[in-house]
Formats: sequence, structure tokens, C-alpha cells
Amino acid sequence: MAKSISRRDFIKGMAGIGAASAVTALAGIPVAHAESETELVERVTTELPIPEAEAPAKTEYECDVLVIGGGFAGLNAAAAAADQGQSVVMIDKGHPGYSGLSPWPSSHRWADKEMGDDYDALRKCIQHGSEYLGNMDLYEVWLEESKATYERLRDWGILDQYETAKESGFYNDSGDPADCSGDYQGYHEKFYQHDRRTKFAAVLRDKGIEYADYTMVTNVIVENNKVCGAVGFHVPSGAIITCHAKAVVMAMGGGCYKPTGFPTGGVTFDGEYIAYNLGLPIAGKEFDDFHMTLSWAPGNAFLNNNWTYLDPLWLCGGDITADTAISYATTKGKVMVLDRVTKSMTGLAVTDGTGVEDMSQQDVTRRGGSASENPGEVRTGKCNDTMYKGDIYGAAVGFGAHLTNGVFCGLDDLEGKTSIEGLWVSGDGMQACGPTGAAYPTGVGFTSNYVSTMGNRAGKAAAEYAAGAELTKIPAERIEEETEKIQAPLSVEKGFDPTWARDQLHSIMSPYWVYIAKSKATLEATLTQIEYMRDRVIPKLQAASYHDVRMCLEMQHKILNAELSLRASLAREETRGLHFRTDFPYRDDENFLCYITLTKNAEGGMDIEKVPVKDEWKGDLTEDYKSRYTYYFPKELETLGLPAEEATGGWGGK
Amino acid sequence: MSVARYDLNKCIGCKSCVTVCPMDVFRFDNAANKSVIAYPENCQSCGQCYVNCLGRALTIVNDMYGYALTSYRAATTVPMNRKAQAVIDRT
Repeated sequence: MAKSISRRDFIKGMAGIGAASAVTALAGIPVAHAESETELVERVTTELPIPEAEAPAKTEYECDVLVIGGGFAGLNAAAAAADQGQSVVMIDKGHPGYSGLSPWPSSHRWADKEMGDDYDALRKCIQHGSEYLGNMDLYEVWLEESKATYERLRDWGILDQYETAKESGFYNDSGDPADCSGDYQGYHEKFYQHDRRTKFAAVLRDKGIEYADYTMVTNVIVENNKVCGAVGFHVPSGAIITCHAKAVVMAMGGGCYKPTGFPTGGVTFDGEYIAYNLGLPIAGKEFDDFHMTLSWAPGNAFLNNNWTYLDPLWLCGGDITADTAISYATTKGKVMVLDRVTKSMTGLAVTDGTGVEDMSQQDVTRRGGSASENPGEVRTGKCNDTMYKGDIYGAAVGFGAHLTNGVFCGLDDLEGKTSIEGLWVSGDGMQACGPTGAAYPTGVGFTSNYVSTMGNRAGKAAAEYAAGAELTKIPAERIEEETEKIQAPLSVEKGFDPTWARDQLHSIMSPYWVYIAKSKATLEATLTQIEYMRDRVIPKLQAASYHDVRMCLEMQHKILNAELSLRASLAREETRGLHFRTDFPYRDDENFLCYITLTKNAEGGMDIEKVPVKDEWKGDLTEDYKSRYTYYFPKELETLGLPAEEATGGWGGK
Repeated sequence: MSVARYDLNKCIGCKSCVTVCPMDVFRFDNAANKSVIAYPENCQSCGQCYVNCLGRALTIVNDMYGYALTSYRAATTVPMNRKAQAVIDRT
């Protein structure tokens, strides 16, 4: 143990502490793991010194279409572009299939007319549930194309259905519903050939798509408003990577400040930062996803997500009918917004870890399965496993509401095309103003299908453009400029550790009065701290390795995201879906049936604008308030002079 | 909560952990043919390395590098902590 710590003496601050605590903790484990006393004695739990990493053999690429990001959106974009006969390169900060959010969906949803889905009911549900900010044109695209997306992913093997953990016997069926343990490794080993994450790189290989992994793109290069590729670095070695391209699809995901229960740490607003600095408008930033985590094991993403990761993707859909369209949306609002708001604000007492959700006890439509009862229906909803239920806020602070955050491409855009020639954006956290609007009334499994659908469209459009475009190579001076920016933190002699800065940012942004129950006073106070970090800490972030360089750059991106989300939250002086202002605790249709965009201006400041949504997305404006909105925030009805509802459980009321 | 070494002897050099980690926690020692947990302070405890480790050389420990802040009390309450570790231990 002493040896292990001294080896790490050169690692600054938290790293040393981390190594020590990891080793200490191991002392408590062997009893459960060891097969014999001999093994216990002979186990080696120390680490070898950190070795130098080799630079990849290839560091310069040239192609027709560059796709940045290897998640669902990126994979579908790359495949679609390659299918059009264009040469495609993908760059991923991690490894395709395992990076960003792509390893983590639990389910997959599509609309299916042949199975009897009522599209009018679906439209009604999403319009009501998105609180009239849902892009209904993009929803039409999804209704039309989602089944083809399902079939494409199924054919790639990503939706393979195999025994669930419970059926397989690897789940610990002790009879104690609070015990969701079992042989995770054994289950994974048995069904490894079905692991959907392995299919991502396989699809790329089959289609002749080159990919550069562990490579962080730091900028997309644009000359005379035309894209010419991207520059970044191979994180382990620090080698500068360039890719000259006729067209670029940014599918780089969203992000959070620090993942403490929901494993979204690989994405850190890299694409949003690049797009904002290219002058593109960013929207949807006032809507934060309130992911919950476990009070008895906070910060523990594995306990929150283990069986979800290992089980097959649950096939969903057909659960919204003409009779249930409004009640479905209302329930989603109550569960996904109001219940979390009230729990966060009241400071839930610590639970004993017995809070579990037993899917097998739920009605099929509650599980996200189809009500059609058609023989051939495969959308059975969530599997029968039990899951721990997050009971406190804070699993991924800063993570934007699904499909709402990102680059605003205009009200008529249907493919993620930006105002820069040859540049598309796609996927969660990149393409703003999706069908989900202010909340997420769609039911589980929507995101993985929707971003795949949109990725396919962006890839196709980028390929069509590239087929008729000339390649403009990235000028050498732009590569030098980016290289200097990447290497800058390595020559900061006195400064701040990016890990400290990350934890500081997380501390500033995670109290419930920043994202959950906002007010002018709390938002402005927080903004002051963020501006201080932006101006005094970010320029002095210090790196001792290229791993640290990645952390320093990610911090820069996170700070920008914090500023964008605070300014957008200040601008929206009303309450709607995942945006609750205690000083404006009601929906204000007159002033805020709009998107709020933030754009970098010539002086380096932020221009904030309101873009009204299309009239046909606004629903029936003559309808009375309590029909238009069917769940209510604390003090909402009181402020409007409407009769108050009786509080039920965590919903509404106090 | 972080990845930790269960037994370096069991590392067969398959590089799965290096490949699947989205947080840049691992490096690989070619000469020794072993992975190295290089930057555990950036671990998000997702467990991808743990379930993909072909030699079963890794484990997950419930010592945490960071908390969802409101729950610090829970994390330091012994019975709760035991509950979390008990679940891990059974794997």
C-alpha cells in the first residue's frame, strides 16, 4: 500500500487521495471475492507506474464527410453518409458505442401504424406534454421514420433480444426486493455476443468507415463561412489530429458538470462550446434534466444502472392511446418534473435503500409496452427486473433536458443544418428544440430512436452536399493556432488543478435553488460566481499530462454551459416544464411560447433573443388554463387566483 | 465510488478497460502487458470496465470521490454505506 501511494506522489491533490482510498477500501472486499485463503494473500492490488502512450500511426485524415462523436446520432450519420458512397471518417473522444450517452439507454421506442398506433393521439400527447414548445414538424419526421430506424438498428444487432438477467439466473433472486445484486460479470460474459456496444464499431468496419478514437476534437475549422474540417488531439499521447473534410456532422452530445449517479461524464458540452464560438445560436439552455440518484449510495452510477446496462434494450411504444393521451402527458409531468421538484426542495430524509421499482408489478403500458394486443407485437416495454429508485437530486447536474439543448437551426430545419456551409449538428445536446419541448412527455426509449433518426437525416444531407462540394483544406496556421491552444495548460506554471475546478463548479451549480427552484436572486448570485471562475480560474488551469489537458478544456466548456444556462434561465421569466421560477411560478403563454437563443456577438458578449414557436405548435390558446396545463407547480394556482388542487404525495401543493 | 484493482495477476492484457472507459482513467503498459488505473479521480463509476474485464481483474469499490451534495449525510451514515457495499460484495 505504501508503495502504491509513493508511486503516485507526483500526481497532484485528489489523485493521491483517490489512490489511497481505493486501496484502503479493498481491504474490506476480499472475503466476498476470494476463492480461498491463498488467493487472498497473493492478490496484487497495486498499480504499475503510468506509462507513456504511443501516438496513433495515422494523425492526418481527409474525407468527404467527417462525423464527430460515435454515439447513436454519430453512428447513424456516418452510416448514412457512407451508404451514399461518400468517404467518411469518425472521430470519438472515447470508443464508438462506449462513449457519451450511447452505452446507457434502457429502451427503444418507435411509432408503428401497422400495430394500430393512433398518430393523432401521439401528436396530442406530445403537444400537451411538451407544454407547446415541442417542434411538431420534427415530430412528424419521427412518426414517419422511426420504424425504419428501429429496423436499421435491429439489423445491425443493436436491439438484439436475449434472456433478461432475471430469466437467466444471474440475477440474485433472494426474494428480498431491495436486493438487486447478482453476478454481473457472469451475465455479461454469457451474452457478450449480444452486447450492443460492440456493434457500433462493427457497423463502421463493415461500411469502410475509418475512425479515430480517444481523440478529443477541440475545434471545427471554418474559413469564409465554409467548413474545412476539424482539429483535436489523441488524449493518451497528445498527438495533434487533423481531419480535412468537405462536410462535418457534429454529434458530440450534451454534458454535465460531474457525473454523480448518471454516467454521462464523457460528454462535456464540447460541441456546444465549439458551435457557440463559431457564432451559432444556442437554445434550450433553461431546461435542465433533473436526474435523481440514490441517497444511500450517491455518486454510485453502477448501482443505479447495472442491470439496465446489461439487459437487452427494452422495446417500447403503443402505450399512448386516444383515451390516455392527456393523462399520459400529465403523469409524465407529475413524475418527471413535479415529484422531483418537491423532493429536491423539501430535502428528502435519507432512505434505507429499500426503494425499488418492480417492473413486473406494473401494467404493460406503464412499462412503456403496447396496449394493442396484436399478435406480432414486439413492444413489450421494460423487462421484469427490479431497479433502485433514485430519491435525491444530483445524478448529473447541468445535464440538459433531452433533445431541447443545442444549436438552434431555425424553425423550418428538419435535418440539423446550420448557417455555416457544410456543417450539420445532430443528436442529444447538439440539435436544439426537438419535439420534446419543455419536458419529456414521450415515455421511455424515445431519445435513442429520435437521435438515430436525425443522425440518419444529417448524414444523408451532408453526403449529398459533399458530393457536389470542393474540399478546402484546413490552413496550416489554423492547425498551429489550435495546437497552441491545446498545449497552453501544460505551460501554466502556477495555477489551478482542473479536478479542483470541476468540483468547485459542481458545488456552485448543484444546490436546488440553481436548477430546480430558480429565482432572479439565486440565478444572479450563481452567475457572479461563474463569471469569476470564467475570468480568474479558467485562464490559469494547469495540466501535468494530456489527461489533464482534456480536463482543462472540458472545464472551459462546462463554464460556458453554466453561463448559457443561467442567462437563459434569467431570460425566461415564467415556469414551464423543466424550468421552474419561484418568482414567476406560472406558465406565461403571452410572452414565452418561444425559444430563447444565446449567440456570441462581435464584442464577445451574449445576445439573448426570443424566437416565437410556430402558431400551429401552440395548441388551442382559447382553452382555459386548467385544461391547457394539467399539473401545477408550488404557488402556481394561488398566484393566478385559480382554485388550488389538493396535494397528492409529492405532487403539487407545498 | 470508483474502479479499483481486484488482482493485477488476473489482468490478461485484453485492453478492454482501456477501450471502453469514456473517462480516460486507464493506460496500458505494453512491456508488462497489463492495464494501469492511471486517473481514478476521473472515474464516474459506470462499471463498464468492470463488466467487460475478461480476466476479472477489476472491481468497484464504494469509496466515493464525490457526492451528490445533498446526500453527504447518507454517505457517511454507516448502515447505509454497509448496504451499498453489501450489494457490491455479492457480485
